[in-house]
Amino acid sequence: MKNNRTYRLLTVIVFIFILGLLVFCEKGEFKTAFSINLTGEVNWGVECKPGTYYTIYDQKGNVIEKTSRMVNVGDEFIDEDNNRYSVIKVKGYKAEAELLGREEIVWEVNGQGETDVLGGDFHIPVQRVGVNNLVAVYHTHSDESYIPTDGTQSIPGSGGIFKVGEIFAEKLRSLGMEVIHDRRSHEPHDANAYRRSRRTSTRLLQKNPAAIIDIHRDGVPDPDFYIDNVAGQEVSKIRLVIGRQNPNMQANFDFAKRLKGYLDEKYPGLVKGIYLAKGNYNQDLSPRSILVEAGTHTISRERAQRGIALFAEALPPVLGVSPSPTPFKQEPAGTRGDLAAALFVILSIIIGSAIYLVISTGSIEGAVRKLKQFITVEWTNFFGKRWRK
Amino acid sequence: MQGYPIGTIVLVIIAAVIYLGLAHRTLDRLYLTDKAALLIIAAMILGSFIDIPITFGGINASVNVGGAVIPLILVLYVLSKAGTSGERIRAVLAAVITAAVIFSINTLIFGDDPWHRGRDFVDPLYVYPLVAGGTAYIAGRSRRSAFIAAFLGVLLLDIIDYLIIVFFNVPGSVNIGGAGVFDALVLSGIVAVGLAEIIGETRERIQGGPAVEGRNEKLLEGLKNKNYSGDRGEDDEK
Repeated sequence: MKNNRTYRLLTVIVFIFILGLLVFCEKGEFKTAFSINLTGEVNWGVECKPGTYYTIYDQKGNVIEKTSRMVNVGDEFIDEDNNRYSVIKVKGYKAEAELLGREEIVWEVNGQGETDVLGGDFHIPVQRVGVNNLVAVYHTHSDESYIPTDGTQSIPGSGGIFKVGEIFAEKLRSLGMEVIHDRRSHEPHDANAYRRSRRTSTRLLQKNPAAIIDIHRDGVPDPDFYIDNVAGQEVSKIRLVIGRQNPNMQANFDFAKRLKGYLDEKYPGLVKGIYLAKGNYNQDLSPRSILVEAGTHTISRERAQRGIALFAEALPPVLGVSPSPTPFKQEPAGTRGDLAAALFVILSIIIGSAIYLVISTGSIEGAVRKLKQFITVEWTNFFGKRWRK
Repeated sequence: MQGYPIGTIVLVIIAAVIYLGLAHRTLDRLYLTDKAALLIIAAMILGSFIDIPITFGGINASVNVGGAVIPLILVLYVLSKAGTSGERIRAVLAAVITAAVIFSINTLIFGDDPWHRGRDFVDPLYVYPLVAGGTAYIAGRSRRSAFIAAFLGVLLLDIIDYLIIVFFNVPGSVNIGGAGVFDALVLSGIVAVGLAEIIGETRERIQGGPAVEGRNEKLLEGLKNKNYSGDRGEDDEK
């Protein structure tokens, strides 16, 4: 009995210790690689309040990125010029990133159609029929607004972001796409917003969209960081955000790269970059989900609307959908990211299961025996009779 | 899935099969046979498409059959089959503690508005099962109570949401279990059982087998079955 109590006490202490450590290591200056390893898979898209934001410097001290999204060691991002950086240090609201190299993001246009050469072996014809042309749009942070136009940065339940989403939807419709623009509110804007929007996202996915897009705006106070003149229009730049810790990360990242590749060709400067953030953003639900930041709260909403309208033009070609269907039918574009993500999921589950089996049985032999039991005895119940040698 | 690239189809199918496979293994530990577990998962998938509106008092609310109703029935069934009344009390207590701890984490650590607090802790989606699995294991060292604690604990959060919307006049809605089989309610239940399983198996491995001293005789019957105990190292499955 005493032994039993000791182990129970030990379990409690270990559990509290781990929880405490997670909290402690994530406070302020303790954002080190160590804390990242501890939190691992578990993180989410926390943002700073407007007015406070992260500035990321390269190793020469140049400012290379600003974001209101929480920055963590291990976060990666691709800048406008396709330089890929990895955050190596975070102190207060300043972060340092090292250059990993240049990401190959190219979209080539040839005489017969448009060919995406992200990996070099994918072909996307311009016109198709029979492919899925439905796009779903929603807003996890349904209060986000633009101060110069909306008068405030937050309007709970009916933020200016809905109007940005509507312009995006209208532009897609004008390009021959079908769009569901969900206007559900996910208030209050708190830690549970993504749990609530997960329900919206799932409902939208039940309609079988080719892509699902969660439109936000950033909270960086410097408007100059986002404003630009693209194609003769005063617009706000667009940032794409991918949750890097869910099984669909690679697939969604490839999707983002295709979007950027196309837009870099057509509207250079429109896409600010791709941020690979910690967190999930409900992107585990679909390998064609993406979070888009249309400008920041200190720019006018009209700028954001013009920017998102240009961004919309990338969806039809990237999804392999033609605005004017032609008689031939082909399979839509696939990405290596999908298969890489599938492989990642399979390997994770095999390794995880193997570790679990060794722990639960105490030996490799035991694990093998248990596995044999699983594939024979367990399934006999299902098939109705016992398999015997 | 017509109109999707083959790679996407492969990824979606694999992810779904693995998730549902884990769900099946979880239900398997809740006094259910393999077939019953499979049927319940099928019912939950189909039920994911059905929302029952429960709008009242001007608040837009609904409850999803696959994400809330069926798991709730399952929770009540598991509670009714609990070995001892103590187990039942511990499970319900663990649920209340789970809700309280998660609520505290969300408000005290994350802050009522994460923009202003900016704490970088963990994704709430993972906080639910981590807290529920840990709490339930400490309260009763039971995989079953982990499931109950996770489900009821997160359900309590939805009720808190509802109260916030009512009393603070927030323009929101409550869609309990709205993401169906992928809802935080179900996900938490599954992961919490897995967590309790891993903690339990590791602890029992360290101490050299399940603790039997002072335990109810009825609960120990399974351990006497030579097929599931002793040197074969099996766990306490049926």
